Amino acid sequence: MKLDAVDAVVIGSGAGGGVVAKELATAGLRVALLERGRLQKYSETGHDELRSQRTTVLGNAFGPDDERHVRLIQVGDDKELRETLPSEGSYGNVAACVGGGTFSFGAMAWRFLEKDFRMRSTYGAPDGSTLEDWPVTYEDLEPFYTKAEWEIGVSGKAGANPFEPRRSKPYPMPALPYSKEGTVLRAAAERLKWHPFPIPMLINSVAYQGRPGCIRCPHCVGFACEVNAKNSTAVTVIAQAVKTGLCDLRTECVAKEILTDAQGRATGVAYFKGRELMEQPCRFVVVSASATESPRLLLNSKSRLHPKGLGNNHDWVGRNLQGHAYSGAYGLFRQEVFDGLGPAASIAVCDFNHGNAGLKGGAMMANEFIRLPYLFARSVRPPGAPRWGLGHKQFQRQQYKRCAGIKGPVQEMPVFTNRVEVDERRKDYWGIPVAKITGKRHPHDIEAGRFIADRAAEWLKEAGAETVWKTVAGKGSTGGQHQAGTCRMGVDAKTSVVDRYCRVHETDNVYVVDGSVHVTNGGFNPSLTILATAYWASHHMVKQQGKVKA
Amino acid sequence: MALPAASALAAAGYQVLSAGEAEILITLIDAIVPADQDPGAKEAGVVHFIDQQLAGAHKRFVGRYRTELPKLDAACRAATGKGLAELGLRERTAFLERVDQGEVAGGAFFQLVVDHTMQGFYGAPKHGGNRDGVSWRMMGIEKMMGRHGGHA
Repeated sequence: MKLDAVDAVVIGSGAGGGVVAKELATAGLRVALLERGRLQKYSETGHDELRSQRTTVLGNAFGPDDERHVRLIQVGDDKELRETLPSEGSYGNVAACVGGGTFSFGAMAWRFLEKDFRMRSTYGAPDGSTLEDWPVTYEDLEPFYTKAEWEIGVSGKAGANPFEPRRSKPYPMPALPYSKEGTVLRAAAERLKWHPFPIPMLINSVAYQGRPGCIRCPHCVGFACEVNAKNSTAVTVIAQAVKTGLCDLRTECVAKEILTDAQGRATGVAYFKGRELMEQPCRFVVVSASATESPRLLLNSKSRLHPKGLGNNHDWVGRNLQGHAYSGAYGLFRQEVFDGLGPAASIAVCDFNHGNAGLKGGAMMANEFIRLPYLFARSVRPPGAPRWGLGHKQFQRQQYKRCAGIKGPVQEMPVFTNRVEVDERRKDYWGIPVAKITGKRHPHDIEAGRFIADRAAEWLKEAGAETVWKTVAGKGSTGGQHQAGTCRMGVDAKTSVVDRYCRVHETDNVYVVDGSVHVTNGGFNPSLTILATAYWASHHMVKQQGKVKA
Repeated sequence: MALPAASALAAAGYQVLSAGEAEILITLIDAIVPADQDPGAKEAGVVHFIDQQLAGAHKRFVGRYRTELPKLDAACRAATGKGLAELGLRERTAFLERVDQGEVAGGAFFQLVVDHTMQGFYGAPKHGGNRDGVSWRMMGIEKMMGRHGGHA
């Protein structure tokens, strides 16, 4: 069915698409916001560990479903290409619901540092990596980081992190208090002459914009917020966009392809509502479907002028898939360090993001979110500890409240052959070719992971942990919930997909606005940077596209 | 050691498992999280969790349970002269350690049962296991989980 034209179709209602939809609608443009998932409420999922975004063993609470979605994967030392389902870790799921990942995320709200935008200039690219600078600087994005912090809502303590560059405004809300574990770790970090500070969070520490402050419930990361204190795009910008009357939020709509004319410009989007194929004409298209689904859509949008997919004449779409090489350590203490209060992750240091001898980049390090009982049983054990039997049970009983974990999202070196492709032979429920993910982490990521794990162990020992063990990222699957890099932003159309305003080089009315455009992914959780980049891109999009009405 | 009789299990009403399969499965989960001063997986009703999930989220594993449970019991008989249900906890654990270490076939299936047992023992009671939140009480987090933990 062919629909009446709108100004813009935004595909995906996560961090990127949510912001763009609101910015366009408040600028007076008519927007169709497509979301393959549903608009969810807390009451649908509650606090069920086995169906959370962290533990999907009984299914994905926040979509997509296993029945209609599949990917192909061959990563690390895998010998064969195999199918993977959304509820399996290897799928690299970021959720599919209104708000996308932000609806159930941990909500850390990091600004990347100046050097994170200038990785190649700072360090030089290692062999086997396409390491490059962003075509925008921290200073370019600073006003948009500030806008994200105030419009979406971040609690934090400005000036507490001595490594943070200049900021034009403080945070709109005070930081959440340190957890018991945070208090123990703070004293230890200070003894080590490091610089600990409270983690900035996209969570209301006090009532803000008509929604309440955090009630410190332990079911935070991986869950919808019971009181709407977690600042997803669903409860902030998307709600505002819909309120303008100009943004039509269309849920359970699965984009098939971007339609183009004889000149190669986009004319609209074909998508499935249920099994019905819809055609939505528009003046421009914004792809915000995640670093796996955005390149998949571009690659599936083939035409005479785009035989290898839209924006892909130079074969860069889907390349440089990144995530984070999470590494760290766990420690067992003589005394209890657990207070059961969420979000639990409360303290961080940025002493090891840069300037580490022999390494390119590094990671922010923070104490971990609460590990609920099943995840603790399956993932928190020193090497050689019994995984079942009486030994397992005794550990669970005695150590749960005496255990602390520290981890860092180690910045990865982009690799050209770590990629998302589409497989024409394997199609999904709607007949759309599925994403195929292949590749292997750069050896430098493992080296940096070992360094960060050593620092985490050092921190825990200083804090008094008696048994400490390290966890270092493996060489396999990258991407995951922090997936990024697959539609690189750049100046040269031959070696990138979008320009510095997120516009596809080859098609001037198609934009990509999500983690895909990240040239490098920082040593930080990426959501605030996706939000800020979306404000930045929207600002220029309104200038570029806002004048002519459809 | 007292395992429930097959007739009692059948009366408990399984959706997927036969009484015989349930009886073997209980011998496994009982060794995976045994009772000590706190109840174990058997007392927490984990067999019902697994049965319930085999009819739902874990239905893709039904075939493996069907073929592997009797195989593991037969392997036990071959190795020890007795079926799993005839062995005491100590002997059963010793046999399962050999399975886990790859000395006896069935390690991958046993690992699957370990994982499902952990899900049932530590997950929300509404899924059929962790009866009365026994594992949360054992860990001293029943208030934290009870307030927020989805008995609902």
